[in-house]
Amino acid sequence: MRTVKEPGSAHGGLSDWYWQRLSAVVLAFLLPLSFLLMLMVFSGAVDQQGLLDILDHVASRVLHTLLILALMVHAYMGLKVILEDYVHMLAWRIPLIATMLVLMSGFGIWWLALIWAWA
Amino acid sequence: MNEQPVKYHRPLSPRISIYRWRAPMLASIAHRASGVALVLFVPLYLWLLHGMTSSPDHYDATLTWLHSLPGKCSLWFVGVALVYHFSNGIRFLLIDVGWGESRKMMRFSALVVLFIAALASLMFAWLLFL
Ligand code: HEM
Repeated sequence: MRTVKEPGSAHGGLSDWYWQRLSAVVLAFLLPLSFLLMLMVFSGAVDQQGLLDILDHVASRVLHTLLILALMVHAYMGLKVILEDYVHMLAWRIPLIATMLVLMSGFGIWWLALIWAWA
Repeated sequence: MNEQPVKYHRPLSPRISIYRWRAPMLASIAHRASGVALVLFVPLYLWLLHGMTSSPDHYDATLTWLHSLPGKCSLWFVGVALVYHFSNGIRFLLIDVGWGESRKMMRFSALVVLFIAALASLMFAWLLFL
């Protein structure tokens, strides 16, 4: 008899792979923009009023929402794969992944609230 | 059940010690390392935006921090990780759709991506510190 190696449904692996790539494509477009914004603030090309004007714009709120969703999906899937590689004891692995999921969803929701709240 | 399940003594996944170092392998490991480094980008970016959207005093304080040594180092670190993970991420996606799958192409593209990251690290250092 073979022992079960991994918990979870057999089809879960493909959808993880797919979500990792879908979120990667979104991030490839949006993440450089956010880093550029930081550099523009750093260099003084944008002052506080300019930054607020950018962040206020509805396009920026929508793009930030997409960015956050993609970040959470991508970072969760990525870190999950890494934990599955290095943490072999299921008694550790499963609570670790669960804690990560809870922390990241909370963080993501908090961030979304901030994005739609700033005036 | 005759076999004793050797539960906790399986080798760790990337068995680095048994391989010869090659550019594609380095590129894969660096992808994982830069992915973990980029996780730091998330709270950093949120924290910066948070500070910069409140009072003008708060904005100035955040900007002052950005220009301090820890601030510049964070920007440099996150920037290099981003450029690397971005370039190699696109390389991985292209390989996934079947482009450049030959051993020779994989090696060449790995070298290109590593070179881009090295260039970016110099460029960011010049941009931030000089
Ligand atoms: C710039 C846009 C990005 C692109 C194009 C991208 C692309 C990718 C791709 C294609 C993979 C799958 C690699 C594989 O399965 O071997 C991956 C893995 C990963 N990414 Fe990203 N990524 C991006 C941004 C990010 C960000 C911002 C983070 C962190 C919050 C991140 C963290 C990770 C992690 C932890 C992994 C798992 C690494 C591993 O399994 O070894 N990535 N990325």
